Amino acid sequence: MKLLEHEARNIFREYGIPVPAGFLIRSPGELASRMGELGERFVLKAQVEVGGRGKAGGIVVADPTTGERIAGDLFRKEIKGVPVREVLAVEYLDIQKEYYASIAIDRSTKQALILFTEEGGVDIEALAKERPEAVRRASLPLLMRDIPPFMIRDLLGAAPKEIGKVLNQLYRVFSEKDALLAEINPLVTTSEGIFAADAKLIVDDNALSRQGIKLNRDLTDREREAEMHGFSYVELKGDIGVIGNGAGLTMATLDLIEYYDGKAANFLDVGGGADQERVMHAVRLVAADPSVNVIVVNLLGGITRCDEVARGIISAGISQPVIVRLAGTNEAEGRQILDGSGYRMMESMEQAVKAAVEAVQ
Amino acid sequence: MIYGDKHTGVIVTGATGKQGAFHIALMNEYARQVGGEGVVAGVTPGKAGQEVAGVPVYNSIHDALKEHDASASVLFVPGFAAGDSIMEAASAGLSLVVAITEHIPVHDTMRAISFARIHGCDVIGPNCPGLLSPGEIKMGIMPVHLSSRGHVGVISRSGTLTYEIVDQLTRAGLGQSTIVGIGGDPVIGQTFRDVLRRFEEDDQTEAVVILGEVGGSLEEEGAKATDLPIAAYIAGISAPPEKRMGHAGAIIEGGEGDARSKIERLRRMGVPVASRPSEVPRLIKEIL
Repeated sequence: MKLLEHEARNIFREYGIPVPAGFLIRSPGELASRMGELGERFVLKAQVEVGGRGKAGGIVVADPTTGERIAGDLFRKEIKGVPVREVLAVEYLDIQKEYYASIAIDRSTKQALILFTEEGGVDIEALAKERPEAVRRASLPLLMRDIPPFMIRDLLGAAPKEIGKVLNQLYRVFSEKDALLAEINPLVTTSEGIFAADAKLIVDDNALSRQGIKLNRDLTDREREAEMHGFSYVELKGDIGVIGNGAGLTMATLDLIEYYDGKAANFLDVGGGADQERVMHAVRLVAADPSVNVIVVNLLGGITRCDEVARGIISAGISQPVIVRLAGTNEAEGRQILDGSGYRMMESMEQAVKAAVEAVQ
Repeated sequence: MIYGDKHTGVIVTGATGKQGAFHIALMNEYARQVGGEGVVAGVTPGKAGQEVAGVPVYNSIHDALKEHDASASVLFVPGFAAGDSIMEAASAGLSLVVAITEHIPVHDTMRAISFARIHGCDVIGPNCPGLLSPGEIKMGIMPVHLSSRGHVGVISRSGTLTYEIVDQLTRAGLGQSTIVGIGGDPVIGQTFRDVLRRFEEDDQTEAVVILGEVGGSLEEEGAKATDLPIAAYIAGISAPPEKRMGHAGAIIEGGEGDARSKIERLRRMGVPVASRPSEVPRLIKEIL
């Protein structure tokens, strides 16, 4: 889960990474009462978890005379469709130089990947593609408590030595907070010293409970329901509902729909142990999307009982047609149950997908 | 076959849970059919003296090894305990851990894999269905009835999609040497490259199917490092960016790891890539 900037910034501060002075507000009035803490110029930053909020108008410079009005405008805004409920007000930094620092997970080496560049405030992915030599990188096994000094020297190059401390503390944050990404972009120097002008921290969903973090995502009703049942669910833009078991098989079903020029309405992986009840909930959930005109169910498993699945589909009692591919035990019984109720059971996923695409054409 | 054979003794950690007990029974049913060792012991801390599916349970792997010969373990423990179980197995001297468990915090996986490597222990998974060498050994949860013994190796990041492809291979008369589910997490122990290296040294394997998906670049790294004939299928060509498609590792991040560019890179290396799962058997026949 991606933390909001002010949450990440608080953690960075706890670890001794300097951040600009400032505070969080929930209304323009709150700003008015504390404006004195901020100086002649300050920055208002919408606390939304979307990327590119600066370009979308979520970061604005203000002063004591314009502050309340500009904050008011910001609270009325939606940044990429997300309403602004909280704003971080921070002192304006007179920046001398910008750097970039991040620590992420490297799938290839199975280690922490530390990135540092003396060209901060950039799109790091674009820079890494255009001029890879400008981005210094180092891999560190997570068994290490700190970044070894030689590695810090290699990463820093000509950058000020004090940044080394920031890098090491960022690694401590990464390692102790179960982060998938800890990023400072930009890390800046001013006449006062070094500051993390932004703070980004993504925490592993599988470690939220031990980190004491509550999952607070803006979910649609259907996404919330899917989560409750333990389904993996992603909403898409088409008209063919998809239910599968296993992420790979479900993705392959979606791909096959695209191959036959159809459009999937969702990705739903029911997970292991697809019994009558789970299948019924999955079918109802997908059918509740008004754009769904037909549903493909593609379930394959050694121990999946086809008769149970068939009963689950029928007991969902939905109005859209359901095209089914089932393989497992009691296949013949499953087919009999479905045939008797007017549902179609196909021999292969290919046939099922073709039939679904034809049904909506 | 790779990673184990009929003579490999297996310890199941998390034996007394519902999943553990169920799959010990299935693994040993298969072992009986093929005349193999199968699961010789189970481990659940605090449950020593119990028996699960006819297999004795011990408090630790160390205790189990005093009474039984084993070189591999299969994990069915919950996510929060799995890193610990991997390290226990490695520390006790086992050479292979197959981690079926899903939802392991990724830092635990990274630390446990580093630890296991120090002890010379290979980790398959986590978040995987394990492996199956038809006619030899099953370590994990793959259904056996879809497979047949033969000369095609299969390496996959997925579970059920693997069964789909294995079924199609079998129907096309292409038996399998070993089917390895390497796992759907962002960080996994044995990668395509590691498993391909094993297949290179395996006389039984003549060609390999790589079943990949969106996220990362392990497929390309594997393909680049082998001279075995391989064919691939990559799931997720219709996956939107920045959305997790079921697997923790199946996510297109920062414009990296999307299916189209993965497929393109593989094809540029001369690897035939199927546009549909049903094309895989034909591609394999062409390269055999």
